[in-house]
Amino acid sequence: MKRFDKGYIYSALLSDLFGSIMIFFLFFEEIFFDESINTENIISAIPFFVIALLVIYLCFIAYRIAYYKTSGYELTETEIKCKRGVFFTKRSVLDYKKIHAINKKQNLLQRIFGIALLTVDSGSTNTSHQAEIIIIEKDKTVDALLNELNALKETGERSMADESATEEVLLSENDSLFHFTSKRKILHTLINVASIAFCTGLFGILAIAVIGVCKLMLEQNFLGTWGQYFLFATLITLGAMLLLSAFSFIGNMIRLFIGYHNFTITKHGNEIRISFGLLEKHTNTFSYDRIKAVKISQGLIERILGFASIHLEVIGYTYEAGSNNVELGVLVPFCKYSEINEILEKVLPEYTPDEKQTKAAAFFPFVSWFLLIEGIVTGATLIFAVTMMAIFHLSLSVIATVVCSVIGLGLLILIIKLLSAVLSYQINGLAINNGKITVYSGGFTKRVTVLMTKNLIAVANVTTPLRKKAGITSLVMHLKTNAQSNEVTVHIQDDTLTDKLENLLIS
Amino acid sequence: MELKKLDKSVLKLWYARTSIVALALIGVLASILVIMAATGASTDAMLIVLCVLGIPDFLLVCIILIMPALRYKMYAWGYDDKRIIVKQGVIFRRRVVIPVCQIQDLHRTQGPLMMMLKLSGVTISTAGSNFEISTLTTDEADRMIDELEHNLEIRVGEQKNEKI
Repeated sequence: MKRFDKGYIYSALLSDLFGSIMIFFLFFEEIFFDESINTENIISAIPFFVIALLVIYLCFIAYRIAYYKTSGYELTETEIKCKRGVFFTKRSVLDYKKIHAINKKQNLLQRIFGIALLTVDSGSTNTSHQAEIIIIEKDKTVDALLNELNALKETGERSMADESATEEVLLSENDSLFHFTSKRKILHTLINVASIAFCTGLFGILAIAVIGVCKLMLEQNFLGTWGQYFLFATLITLGAMLLLSAFSFIGNMIRLFIGYHNFTITKHGNEIRISFGLLEKHTNTFSYDRIKAVKISQGLIERILGFASIHLEVIGYTYEAGSNNVELGVLVPFCKYSEINEILEKVLPEYTPDEKQTKAAAFFPFVSWFLLIEGIVTGATLIFAVTMMAIFHLSLSVIATVVCSVIGLGLLILIIKLLSAVLSYQINGLAINNGKITVYSGGFTKRVTVLMTKNLIAVANVTTPLRKKAGITSLVMHLKTNAQSNEVTVHIQDDTLTDKLENLLIS
Repeated sequence: MELKKLDKSVLKLWYARTSIVALALIGVLASILVIMAATGASTDAMLIVLCVLGIPDFLLVCIILIMPALRYKMYAWGYDDKRIIVKQGVIFRRRVVIPVCQIQDLHRTQGPLMMMLKLSGVTISTAGSNFEISTLTTDEADRMIDELEHNLEIRVGEQKNEKI
């Protein structure tokens, strides 16, 4: 079994050094910054701190060397074998034919030491949280392995004679089927910030109403200091939201310019290869037959300005638990909505979305339940608040202000819901053509899901007695993919669609 | 396809479960009132607590006790050689169709109450979602699993021939 590249030890140890220093400072932060502790005492304790730091670091060194010595990989005639771990060792064997996704990753330290991480996954739902095979090798070797494994995935067998045959893959933006230019990245950032600013603005309006009530409460000395607490809490939350907008701007710029650096999509035979990243370089490879759906999404502001993003729904390894790595399934992070057909024609022609053939059957069902629940909640809140204020003998002006605030808040929520319902009414629809289903769904965020009927696992229709009488239903389609993202719902459609979908499902 | 209703003993199980929840809710309210009385809270305060917690508690208990009967009335299930159909829901009625050829695994589960009443839950796993047939008699569940396995083999065979 071949061991991983030695660069792994160096890059991991450098990363551990930063980690150890961080842990050390977290533990002793109070001692260093506590003014009541004498400086001389700290100086005399420094040798002990250094020893403690050394002990922690020695543990890391021992672990990394042990990991290097006990881990390795092997490419046999029909399968790839991998062994890793120190305390809990894991041995994985994966048939070449069962390889589902091959991804390459490289963080900044790994780039410095010229190594990369290759993950090979079978797409099993049991192991969707982590790849089954992990190989740490020199960057060029990883590229060569990536190509070799992609070829072996098709043939299933490896000729031991051409073991040394390698081909270097160089991906550049010129080869790409899609160009994620700086202009697009800035636009994307601005749209994301505008979305957050819109939410902050909305929250600001609410905050003004709450501050008004708090002020009145303070003037009337209602609930004593509680009024003050409400006021502070609202102001702090408003400040936090503004801060969030600022952070989001910086975060988005970093994510897009560094995370999506040199974004390329290339086609290699039966697969798509998506490569991006500056500090951590990703090369994600997906076979066409493993792609179960294409999802196009548009937030409200993106919709107004005519932009969208495209994601792939692939069985298994598109979701890493805990890592929040949503980039794994991304096909196009940001493009003009009008360009989608052109991009998909180049990359995945069979997944080009069709025009809507059906539309929502009625508008009222989109808001009926909300109206009922909101009416009950607002009514109950009003009755409770007025009763309590009457018990505490508050003046009529306070009662009137609170009633107006509750009704105002209720109306604001109602307006938002009505807006969302109007959008849902316009968006929801379905197109069924030659074994392909295009589902239009969502409200503020528009989603277009394109899937093949062969990847449809089950269909559920959801209705109420009144809706059934009117011949309308909502349809939930279950896809053959991860449980986290396998449902697509199209609301308030004609009941006859249920039979059509069920026939497609059974045939 | 004609859909079947659940066995009457399922209703007993559902009532046993909901009674436990209802008793717990009543118990929580009673405990709060007892603690208040023991700490010398005023009658007004106890009345307010009774109104604020008692009315929703009472409504919740009523709903909990009515639900099993309504749920039982609306529940229907069935299967043939091509599909499994499950209908459920009181206000929002859901009808799920699962093709037999999409089944990956079949699971039969039993809790202590289910064992006492000779009932079993059946979970149908596919390559995407899991679907449950809430509660069947153990005999029905076993028969269903056997027949579905048989239907699955036939259906997979048919599909292979279609491809050839």
